[in-house]
This record gives sequence, structure tokens and C-alpha cells, in this order.
Amino acid sequence: MRGAINVQGISRAYRRYNADRPWTWQEVLVRGWRRLRPAETFWALREVTFNIAPGRMVGVIGHNGAGKSTLLRLVGGVGRPDAGRIEVHGRLGALLELGAGFHPELTGRENAMIGGIISGLTRAEVASQFDSIVSFAELEDFIESPLRTYSSGMIMRLAFAVAAHIEPEVLLIDEVLSVGDLAFQEKCLQRIGEFKSRGCTILLVSHNADLLGRLCDEVIWLRAGRLVAHGPAGEVTTGYVNEMSQLGAHPHSPVQPDLALP
Amino acid sequence: MSSVAAQPKLRRLSYLWDLLSVLVGRDIKLRYKRSFLGTAWSLLNPLAQFIILNFVFNTVLPLNIPNYTPFLFTGVLVWNWLNTALMLATSTIVDNRDLIRRPGFPPAVLPLIAVMSNLIHFLLALPILALFVITSGSRLTSTVLWLPVVIVLEFLIILSLAYFLATIQVTFRDTQYLLGILLLLGFYLTPVFYDASVVPPRYQVAYHLNPMVYVIDAYRAVLLRGETPNFQALGLIALAAGALLLMGYRVFMRASYHFAEEL
Repeated sequence: MRGAINVQGISRAYRRYNADRPWTWQEVLVRGWRRLRPAETFWALREVTFNIAPGRMVGVIGHNGAGKSTLLRLVGGVGRPDAGRIEVHGRLGALLELGAGFHPELTGRENAMIGGIISGLTRAEVASQFDSIVSFAELEDFIESPLRTYSSGMIMRLAFAVAAHIEPEVLLIDEVLSVGDLAFQEKCLQRIGEFKSRGCTILLVSHNADLLGRLCDEVIWLRAGRLVAHGPAGEVTTGYVNEMSQLGAHPHSPVQPDLALP
Repeated sequence: MSSVAAQPKLRRLSYLWDLLSVLVGRDIKLRYKRSFLGTAWSLLNPLAQFIILNFVFNTVLPLNIPNYTPFLFTGVLVWNWLNTALMLATSTIVDNRDLIRRPGFPPAVLPLIAVMSNLIHFLLALPILALFVITSGSRLTSTVLWLPVVIVLEFLIILSLAYFLATIQVTFRDTQYLLGILLLLGFYLTPVFYDASVVPPRYQVAYHLNPMVYVIDAYRAVLLRGETPNFQALGLIALAAGALLLMGYRVFMRASYHFAEEL
């Protein structure tokens, strides 16, 4: 079914290297191959299984290092699980690694084309949406200037605007949402709301329990690479917040702005 | 296994084509945007090399090769494409970590882009070569029609090495530096500025293990001598390069599952 995400028992091991791991042939010649072997491998994800029905907005919550970003990457096809299967049905969009491929020497227009192609649009699709991208980014007056003359906020606005102009059936979002000023953040959330109302499946990673509780239909809770719970957003985030407060940790990071879908 | 399924084949193909052409275009634009000479800048490197070598081996230590100007310029252009493309392809994964981490981006296009953008620079220099051929008194004959075949073969050779090199650079970050040294040796062990026939007979067999010996000779055959290239040798090289490319691509793809975390 288009828009569905099926994750079947996936595991992913990461290699952790010694601090003195050789990074050059020169070091290998001097100190030998031995330290090249990983000091240890650890499971970033361990036998995680879940299914997401089309059109659902699903949050992923967990501590730093719980495997949230690894999960998001694997669903996005960056790398492969060491075990298990991932199926993503439908056109994939991602609001992460925004601005990949941008170059400061190229103009906003040229970068928008590059960004659009990298986000999965064809050349013709970017061209036909170009005006809408520029006006969404509020960069009409700067679009022919090189990106190096932009502020970092302007660059993020352009990157978000480009990525928001694909018509995804499955959308991956990482933390971020702290793009530009408050008014622009509002606009981003509105855009995400539009995707949702059009039936797009959304997977949103955050460690802000409040945000996920408000925005999402379901929440997946990861702890040390394992799935702790998957269920209605309110229930799971409450469980997460309770555990955090028992451990004495603050449930959400202070840098997260207080955001809500309009 | 992950699958980003259900994308119609045709759209996928036209998408990959757009992706390649836009990123190759980006490479080329960037290289001339930084300099006020524009695209001419990319010609400057082979031209400077050509001028020096021409002075040395025409005037200082004459090699007495007839029509040395187009002979030398062919060698320099052909070698330069290999040299620059391999150097860029080697660092392309490490240099593009943001693209590697971007969902949906196929890492395998990156080495291809490095080889293709340098192919464009090679093609842009061909008119100058044609000018050298004509002004030196020889003429282009119909054997020039074999030129695309020779170009495709060189493309295949470069690409077959590019996937290995790009993969190794992720683990050993001085691979590019070592490659630079190897390429410098290769420059002297390939008939760029001299003719392979002057290599003493007892070294000929070993010397001809270098496929670029045949490739450069094939260029000169079709462009300067009006002969058809040595198809038997070129066919064998194509087979070997094809097999190497398959292997390199596999090694690359397998390693690519870990690129995102190793960068």
C-alpha cells in the first residue's frame, strides 16, 4: 500500500574504533594493521519491528544514542540494516541533511535546482515549481545572488523550501524545525500539516515529548537500540516522560522551541 | 534489505539522468566560477604542460618524432583526463558527506560524476587538438569516426579504477596523496611525450602491461596516422576493464552501507 512503512526485525551494528586507529597508509606502515580492527561493535538498533499505516504521523522518541537517527537513515535508504527488512512504499521525501549539495559560489537559483534534484525531483519538476519555491523561501530579491551572500537563516529557508516542494508519500523529519525565525517555523509546521492532511505518512524524530505528543498519532519509543513501546502518542510519551523524571533527567531538551501545528 | 519501491522505471531513468547532468554541471560551473578566465582555465593546465614538454623534447632534447606538436598534445590531453578524473574520484565520497547522508541519494553516482565532468573538459579541448592537427599539415581522415570508441574505452578504464579508489579513500585518507605519486610514475611509464617503439625490446612485454599504452596509441592511430586502432588489444582491455568495473562497483556498494557513519 502506498505510504506504508514496514520494518521487520532490523538490527544495525556500528563499529567503534580505537582512538589510535590508523587513518592513513603512512600510519599503517609505521604502526601496522592491528589497530585497524574495530575496538568493539555495538548495536545501534536491535530487532526493531513496526508497521506504519499510510497517512499516519508517527514520532520516534528516545534518549541521545537510542538509535533514532540511525532508524531514520535506514528508512531513508542510507546504509542497510545488518539484519531484517525495511520496506518503504511510495515516494520518499526527507527534511534532513537540508542543503546537501549547496555551494556558496553558486546563485540561489542554481542551488535551488541542485537541491530539488537531490530531493528527488526531475529537472522539469523543479523548473515548474521554481516560483513557488522562491516565494515560499521569501527570497525573491536574492535568488540571483550567490549563496555566500546569504545569511545562514536564508540558506536554511531556501533548503527547506526546496525540500518542501516535493510531493512525498512518505516524509522523514529529523529534529530540526528550528529553521529561521518564528514566523518561518510556523510556516514550516503549516507545510507539514498540509502534507499530513493530504495523506502523507510522516516519521518524525525528536526528543521533545511534548511536541511529539501534540503532533503525532503514534509514537515509537527507542531505548539503547530496542523498541520499548509503540502506541498512541499520549500513552507512549507519558511513559517516556515518567521514566525520564524517575531517572532525574529533564524530559525535553531546553533548546527545542515550543511548537505546535496551527 | 530496504527498497524504495514502486517508482516507475522510466521516471527513475530520467531522474538519474537529470541528477547526473545537474551535478556534472555544478562541477564544471564551480571550476570556472572561481577564476576570471572561465572555462579556459581548465585548458590552461594541459596547455602549460604541453608548452613545457614541447620545448624540452622539441628543442632541448629533440626526440625527432614527426609532427610532434599534435603527437604530444594528444598524449597530454589523454593522460590529463585520466589523471584529473582519478584524483577527483578518489576524494569524492569524503568530500561529499552531506550528499552521502541524504536519504534517496545514490552514492554510486559520485565517482561517475568525477569521471564525466573531466570527460567534458577533455571534449572541450578536442577542437584545439584538431587545430594542431590541421596546422601541422596532416589531415583528419575518416578513421576519426573511431574516436568515440576509444573515448568510451578510456572512460571505462578510468571508471573501473574510480570505484576502488573512492572506497579506499574512506578508510585511508592519504590514498589520494599516494595516487598522485603513482600517477606521476605512470606519466613517465606511458608514452605521453615519447613513442612506445623506443622502449628497448626486452622491456616491451612488461611495458605493454599498462593498458594506457594501447589507449594512447589508439588515439594517435585514429587522429594522426589515419589508421584503424588495434581492435584486438582494445577488445581485451575493454573486457578486463568491464570485469574490473563490476568488481569495483560491488566493492563500492558493499562499503557504501557504512559510508554515512565512517565520514
